[in-house]
Amino acid sequence: MTTPATGAPPTGAPPLVTARARPGRFAVALLIIGVPLVLALLGPLFAGEAGPRAASFTLGGGHWAGTDFVGRDVWRQVLLGGRPVVVTALAATALAYAVALPLGLISALTHRTWLEELLMRPLDVVLAVPSLLLILLVAAVLAPGPMGLALLVALVNIPDAARIIRATAAEAASRPAVEALRMQGETWWRMAVGYVGRSALRTLATDAGVRLTGVLYLVATAAFLGVGVEPDAADWAVMVDRNRTGLFVQPWAVVVPALLIVGLTVGVNLLVDAALATRERRVRPGRKPGEKPGEMGESSP
Amino acid sequence: MTGLRQWLLRRLLLGTGQLVAVVLLVFALTEALPGDAAVALAGDQPDPERIAALRTAMHLDRPAYERLADWAAGLLHGDFGTSLVSGRPVSSYLADGFGPTVLLAALTVVLLVPVAGGLGVLAARHEGRFTDRLISSVTLAVYAVPEFALGILLVTVFALRLGWLPPTAVGYGADLPAHPAVLVLPVLVLLSRPVCSLARLVRAGMIDALAAPYAAQARRYGIPGARIRYAHALPNALAPAAQQLARTVDWLLCGVIVVEALFVIPGLGTVLMNAVAERDVPVIQGLAIVFGLTAVVLNLGADVVAHRFAPRALVAA
Repeated sequence: MTTPATGAPPTGAPPLVTARARPGRFAVALLIIGVPLVLALLGPLFAGEAGPRAASFTLGGGHWAGTDFVGRDVWRQVLLGGRPVVVTALAATALAYAVALPLGLISALTHRTWLEELLMRPLDVVLAVPSLLLILLVAAVLAPGPMGLALLVALVNIPDAARIIRATAAEAASRPAVEALRMQGETWWRMAVGYVGRSALRTLATDAGVRLTGVLYLVATAAFLGVGVEPDAADWAVMVDRNRTGLFVQPWAVVVPALLIVGLTVGVNLLVDAALATRERRVRPGRKPGEKPGEMGESSP
Repeated sequence: MTGLRQWLLRRLLLGTGQLVAVVLLVFALTEALPGDAAVALAGDQPDPERIAALRTAMHLDRPAYERLADWAAGLLHGDFGTSLVSGRPVSSYLADGFGPTVLLAALTVVLLVPVAGGLGVLAARHEGRFTDRLISSVTLAVYAVPEFALGILLVTVFALRLGWLPPTAVGYGADLPAHPAVLVLPVLVLLSRPVCSLARLVRAGMIDALAAPYAAQARRYGIPGARIRYAHALPNALAPAAQQLARTVDWLLCGVIVVEALFVIPGLGTVLMNAVAERDVPVIQGLAIVFGLTAVVLNLGADVVAHRFAPRALVAA
């Protein structure tokens, strides 16, 4: 196995990043992510009470985006449907790091080879199973809820995150500063968290951003396939799936949530990219001597 | 040479470990069922007769290791067991779904490399100019989009508004090669993510390679630009992309499941989703074994290719 789930090589340098920060890239990214994010976070506040059910897949009649497959107002479902996607994705990313961070740090800092092998080798094996297949396998047996879906998505992200953390931390742990700390008799905690963890923070922030894109993808796709959601849940991905049958009669019930998902995922990716490019520019003048020039894998003026 | 052989040996060992792990993982599935597996599977119709039938069908009265040994021995002979729902052998399910899935995957892989390579080289040639900015932005944006959302929007535009292509494969049965129009949208959707990631890697590698001293030296010798680009720079630019191939395999296997569900193509992904809906554990296990083994074998192949392209790069094994 060579590459982690979201496209960054194990060194943590993101190849899917254009190095040059252009003014306005933040603006474009914010513009794209703005509508879906605001809808996802604030939508439930404005959703109001559910009205009486109308006929399935109709247009007009007080529903300006029409009705869905069971006759509910599509606009209300749209207002409610973003939060589960966003919250599940954020929870899954946080959970993945909660497990991967200690795993990676311990195996990078331990001097016992057997412990490192014990912690990291099983992850290599899990990494071989396609992530969606693993999720479907467990879902077939346990029928998880939204929390279960977050756990599952976190689980498939752990191996990869742990490998990146280990690689980054191992590099930081081999620096003379750590040797000095050790000789001064500093505690393990101080070295692991205070120095190694902090040195690795930059790579981790990069990885977290890229990982969030992948997690959003998995959460939405799993929900589309019916994993971790009720069949009539207010969830953009579920809406796309369930309203497909009426695509020819009432396309809005499908197109609106699909566009919002596209906006959300594209926006997150562009935002991460813009943030990385900006930081790269800020970091570049004071580059540490150990870092390779052209770390982003692309030339820049 | 010994280094290469040692690496290959270690990589094969890891691959074998992964194969065993997939089999164990998939078997653990039935053990993970809460409570008595037969009761859990009977689900909505928990009448004692069905539970008893399930218990016999799954040999739940015997210890787990015996069942594992039997099942694994069956796998070696190509015997995947029988479906709990229909009583048909699982291998017949696999045979039914095999054709469409392989067709989709093969078409995608055949188109993937030239399209991604072409886009990457094109962007690198026009570095910093409009073409490059366009390709870079679009690949960055599309890379993150889930297949189902992209697919449904393409269906809305090309099938619903313009009427150029059929929206799904409903009504065409398994005879897809005779109706190439049905395959256009599915293959396009399957290609979207891998093409974007590979094109960006090829672009980055190509720009690096063209800026390298050996390319400048070749230019000083008066070697034509096209030859420098394709004969000298491109193979070096492909090295990072080849490493990404392994991840692409994962995406393709996941993408196939989504695309088949979206376009109602009767392939292995559809069989898997139906089995998941019916909790038909033997069928799920059989499909998981097929998907898992394909992933392990293709990953192994991709690593070998990557190692061939970039022997200096660290390929973990």
